[in-house]
Parts: sequence; C-alpha cells; structure tokens
Amino acid sequence: MATGARKAVYPLFQLGGPQLRIFRPNFYMLVVRPGVPQPEDTVQFRVSMEMTKVDIKNYLEKIYNVPVAAVRTRIQYGANNKRNHKNQRVKKPDYKVAYVQLGQGQTFQFPNLFPEKEQDTETRSFDDFKNTYMEREKQRQKGDPRRGGVPDWFGL
Amino acid sequence: MAAAGAMAALCRRLTAALRVSGARLGSTAAGFPGLMLNLFHKNLAKVEPFHQLKFLHTTLSRKGLEEFFDDPRNWGEKNVKSGDAWNIKQLRGKSSEDLHKLWYVLLKEKNMLLTLEQESKRQLRPMPSPERLEKVEKSMKNIDLVVREREIALRLLQTGHEKPVPGEWRNDFLGRTYWYTYKEWPIPWYLNKKYKKRKFYYLPHVNHFIRLRLEKSLRRRVRRQNLEKTRQKVLERKFPHLAVKSQSQ
Repeated sequence: MATGARKAVYPLFQLGGPQLRIFRPNFYMLVVRPGVPQPEDTVQFRVSMEMTKVDIKNYLEKIYNVPVAAVRTRIQYGANNKRNHKNQRVKKPDYKVAYVQLGQGQTFQFPNLFPEKEQDTETRSFDDFKNTYMEREKQRQKGDPRRGGVPDWFGL
Repeated sequence: MAAAGAMAALCRRLTAALRVSGARLGSTAAGFPGLMLNLFHKNLAKVEPFHQLKFLHTTLSRKGLEEFFDDPRNWGEKNVKSGDAWNIKQLRGKSSEDLHKLWYVLLKEKNMLLTLEQESKRQLRPMPSPERLEKVEKSMKNIDLVVREREIALRLLQTGHEKPVPGEWRNDFLGRTYWYTYKEWPIPWYLNKKYKKRKFYYLPHVNHFIRLRLEKSLRRRVRRQNLEKTRQKVLERKFPHLAVKSQSQ
C-alpha cells in the first residue's frame, strides 16, 4: 500500500475552527542553482506541490531556523513532447519553484558541490597501471621497427 | 554517545574561544556551529544546536541553509559512506518523542540528498552514493508505519474503532464493491450537487458483466495455481533429493 504516494487528507476548516498543525510533514524542499542570476538575498528552492507561501516560510523558520522575509512561488510545467521507443509521450514532472528572500540582511551564494579533489594513491596507481597497459598495447600494434613505419600490408 | 558528548564539549570550547578572540568564522574547518551531528546512523545522539552568535555577522552566514548541503569535506567525493536504513523492529523500541525527532532528521537528510541529486544532474556529474536516498525513504516509511500502528492501538482501546475516518462498503455503477470513506463537507449531502451525480447503485443489466468479471477472476486464480504446481513439479524433477517427504504411515 503506497502510504506516502496518496494525497493526505486534512480536516475541513470552517470559520472559528482550530489551526491545522501537521506533526510529521512529508514535504520536501531542495535548493537549486538559479538559471537566471538572482539577487544576493534570494534563494531558489524546488518544493512539494502542496506547499503554500506560508507553509514554506514556516518550514524554513521552524525546521531550518532561517529568517525569511518574503516568498514567491510559481509552478513550472514539465513538457510532454518527448516520445519513447513506443512513440508514447513521456511527461517530465511538474514542480513548484519558490524564491525565498532571506531576512536580517543575509545573503546566499550557491556553493560548488563538486570541487576538484587531488587523487588519492589508489586512483593514481590505477591510472599509472592503465597508462602502462595502453603503451604496451600501442607497441604491439606497431610493426617491425626495422621497416621504418611502413605497414606490413605491403609485400616484402 | 560519549564520543558525541566529548565532540559537543570540544565544539562548545572552540566557539567560546572564537567568541573571545572575535575571529571570523570563515574557515570551513570550524564547521557549521548550528549544524547537528549526522544522526543518520543508528546511534541517536541528542546534541542541542548551539546558540547563534548574534553580534557576529558574516555575509555568507547561511544560519541553517548549510543544512541543505552535506559536510564540506564530502564535497567532490566519489563515494560517501552511510549506515543502513532504520528497521521497523528497531523503531518499535523507540519512544514517540525519539521517533518525532528522527523524522525531522531524516527529512533534512532527504532534502540534502535531493539537493545533491539536482545539482549533480545540473553539473552532469554522477551523484555520490545515491542509495542513501532509498535508505532514507525506507526509514521514513517505517517510522510512518510504526506511528500508524501505535495510533491504531490507542484508538482501538479508546474508541473501539480501527480506522481514523469512518466508512462503509458501497457498490459503484459498475457493480464493484469498495470501501467508501466518509468525506468532510460544509454542506449536507442533499445539497451537494457533485455528490448527487455519483451513483452508488447499479442497474440490473450490469449483472451479466459482474458474472463475466467473476469468471475472469476465477480463471486467473486457477491459472496462477496451475502455474505454481507446474513450477513445483519442475523443481522436484530437477532436485529430487530436496523434495518434501510426504508423511507416510
């Protein structure tokens, strides 16, 4: 039974009713590198489709302790043009993008998560082994050195 | 637990020393003062997040946005080691408070891994150890199951009902019987136009199709049982020494 996949049902709200509190939210939020350069205090997120601006503000403030000044959201439509080997249309999933402006004058720059790291001894030795093997293979491919680079296809 | 406590004490002394000297927390070696230890592994060390240094303001301070990213030492690595997923049996032994905290730890870990996945797709690089995502999802599902079990037990004791929302068996217009859960509406059912359009009964001409459906399901069941029997016979022919000896008098 897909417990997480089906839509969660929340109690109906009517005027004067209690505030809805969700105890174990299953909403995800991930930081993305903005495609278009954003101002320094703006962070771009991809959030679950059901989240509202208020939800996102509370989520960041309560769970991550990040001061939030403003949130703007939009839903990005995923294209349905590509076709698979059966000529059926393959849909790219839709997702909601949130632009969050941090409070208290904070700034954010998306970091480089794949910096160049120096190779450790294992990979270096493997590379050396690979290089020596390739050189040996090339030597075998070459013909008799006394023929001066002429291929063996020619007679004599 | 002791190691975590010692590490916490060391970090506290470090931040205290920095506060006194007024040095900038620019180096990554100081780590993220606000970051909790990686509680993904089985030992649940209760480490409180440190208080923010209010008078120290750096332009790059993310105050918690750093939790969307892994430990900086792991950036650029090909493989990141991680422990196993949480088992249901292990989770059943934890208190509700512990499960609540663990849920949020796993949620933050999931966010971090999803960020890493998206960034690796963007940079056209392989994501280091993608199996961590599956482990986190499995752990979260297990926590959900355990909490659900406890809720059902409590509800059974208090009210005698198993399900949180009442319902009943109903027929749809195709003759199928299904469990209908009651929905909350602000208006009664006889004023609900959308609900009145739904038909929870079927007309007599549907009986023929019910019969066909029944025959199809019976045929599928018999086919499945025959397949099982033939598979069993094939195995017995191949491995006669492993056949189950039938009880003979």
